[in-house]
Amino acid sequence: MSNFKKELAEYTKNLNKASQDENLAQAVTRAIKSYRQNVEAAMSQYPHTSALAEEARAIKDYSMANNKELLEQAMQVIESNHGQAFYAEDREAAINIVKKIVGKEKIIVKGKSMLAEELDLREALQEEGNEVWETDLGEFILQLKNDRPMHILAPSIHVPREQVAEIFSKFFQKEISADIAELVSEVREFLREKYFTADVGISGANVVAADTGQIVIIENEGNVRLCTGLPPVHIVIVGLEKLVPTFQEAMKVAEVTWRYANYGAPGYVNIISGPSRTGDIEKVITYGAHGPKEFYVIFVNNGRRAMMNDENYRQALHCLRCGGCMYECPVFQVTAGHYGRTYLSGIGSVWTSFVEGVESAAPMLYTCLRCGRCVERCPMQIDVPKMVGRLRSELASD
Amino acid sequence: MTTNKQIPSVLKLIRSNIIKYGNPLALNPRQNSSWVKDLDLPTKGEILFYTGGEYQLLPYLEPLLKTMTYIDPAGRAFSLLMQARKLVNIFGVAPEKIFAGMLAKDKERYNAINYKAAYILKKLGYDLCYDAQGEIYSGALLYELGFWQDLKSYAVRVAQAIRKTQAKTVVCLSPHAAEMFKHVYPQFEEFPELEVKTFVELVWEKRDKLSPIPTDSPVVIHDSCRLARDLGISKEIRDILDSVGVSYIEPIRNKEWTTCCGGPGKMLFPEISKIIAERRVNELTDTGASKALLACPYCLSSLEGGLKQDKPMVMEDLVEFIYRGVN
Repeated sequence: MSNFKKELAEYTKNLNKASQDENLAQAVTRAIKSYRQNVEAAMSQYPHTSALAEEARAIKDYSMANNKELLEQAMQVIESNHGQAFYAEDREAAINIVKKIVGKEKIIVKGKSMLAEELDLREALQEEGNEVWETDLGEFILQLKNDRPMHILAPSIHVPREQVAEIFSKFFQKEISADIAELVSEVREFLREKYFTADVGISGANVVAADTGQIVIIENEGNVRLCTGLPPVHIVIVGLEKLVPTFQEAMKVAEVTWRYANYGAPGYVNIISGPSRTGDIEKVITYGAHGPKEFYVIFVNNGRRAMMNDENYRQALHCLRCGGCMYECPVFQVTAGHYGRTYLSGIGSVWTSFVEGVESAAPMLYTCLRCGRCVERCPMQIDVPKMVGRLRSELASD
Repeated sequence: MTTNKQIPSVLKLIRSNIIKYGNPLALNPRQNSSWVKDLDLPTKGEILFYTGGEYQLLPYLEPLLKTMTYIDPAGRAFSLLMQARKLVNIFGVAPEKIFAGMLAKDKERYNAINYKAAYILKKLGYDLCYDAQGEIYSGALLYELGFWQDLKSYAVRVAQAIRKTQAKTVVCLSPHAAEMFKHVYPQFEEFPELEVKTFVELVWEKRDKLSPIPTDSPVVIHDSCRLARDLGISKEIRDILDSVGVSYIEPIRNKEWTTCCGGPGKMLFPEISKIIAERRVNELTDTGASKALLACPYCLSSLEGGLKQDKPMVMEDLVEFIYRGVN
């Protein structure tokens, strides 16, 4: 049996198993229902959103076509803001840059980042003897469970509270009840100490404004504020596709992102342009006042440039990672994140084709029903079925 | 880019059947056109009635799936892949052999949908032609599964088949075929210029001629993905029901937001496909309706398969339903 047959058989078995998992079914069903209600409420409360999404599409179109210039501009301005900017061609380059900044045996607190998942960054840093903590609650649960995210925004969508209590009781070595508030409070106490003792904070980014070098990070828990504000060093890892020309445009893209991620307004929007500084003593600018003294931004390619250069697939880079499409995908509704690895469901199969290669994405590519409901949901109207068809044709071509 | 190595065997099988036999399941053309009976349709004319042999496939799908899924219950996923090669051989000779489990009444029912559709359109005043010998499958699966290289030569065959009939308009029973004629084939050079219509649209244009259809309770509509999203046809179905005096209910997701029946996943992921179908059936039964209307052969087959044993609901093709109003 060929490797592909084995892989497909294994993948199918896994999908089938997931489809029989009652915890998963219940959790996902609840999540879909509340997603649909929340997003509908958010849209009716902020009816300008769909027009704003249209603007965001135009901004993304422009940004992809001019990405090289935007990257250059952003890197320059980040340097002039007393940060340091890097470009990483692929996974290896990105990991090496982070490793070099971090060093060994450090404590690292980390915010949620799809790119970090793509790069297996946590594992790479742990191999160097570093202590790395996921601070997003969902990711923290998965870190302890040694599991992987099942939704890009709600990574632990598949873990019910009883199981969280079990995991926490074992980890904290005391009896913790399945009371959600108690569970949250345990993590809060534990991570608080980590934020203050950490040597490095790592975050992703939702949007980057090329003109000001400002990094925009949307969140609800407040963990990103702490990760990026308390440790003496802040490292941002971000995909090239997150660049837009101006700060004003970055805000438009950000608002569309959180609205379709079903928030009227998110708990926090972090905007960071460089290390913490003060001029309060004799107007002499000094870095590292209360926040980080060092600020690094690593722009990562890892297949994105190839996507950008191919007009058939460029639109996949418009993805804001709002996760809306997944809630509407009939296969995802049954299997959750088992339909994919890092990047999930239909759009995930397109991304996987570029960051890992089309052969690796084959089982996912054949999973898509091409029903097209994701396109209805997508604020960027990304035509996933069309791209999936084309990628299948690449698999079939001699 | 690598080659066929990354293509699941079952999809290769479907591909070779389409290319070799002009039909995904290698059914013979004579059998595909047996529905036509006394309708007396000329082989040439302005409006071509196009079945693409798709409703004719349906009775074979479920038994095929059962064969493929349950030959080796100890390792379903493996058997699905391993058995495909054997099926090629069986298919080439007599595909019917493996369909011992097929129900005669299903075959009769699905075949009759072609007859009823043509009958309705004739009654509404459309002069149809139909080429029993020359009609071949639309090639939709070649397109959807990514066999785009094959599609180039297949398009030529489809074009020839259409040209032979001298038709200016093609009326498709399957939305998948309509998508091919409307959105895919026009991209190919030398494909004949055609007006493409679905059965639903032609009925909609002359809906005033339909007689009222007495019903006891409202029906629920299931929109097909292709029809509602790719072809933008959903209001037409409602208009038709209004004009025959039938009240209808919408499920939680419908029109451009409709939920897929799971059909496209059947060949590779039959178990997931079935769960998706069952969930859609739940959305339909949640409305309280006891009958669902739909207008796509694959939705019909999938949702029939998604019904539980006690059959809480009747799945009916719009063709079958409207037939009552013209007879």
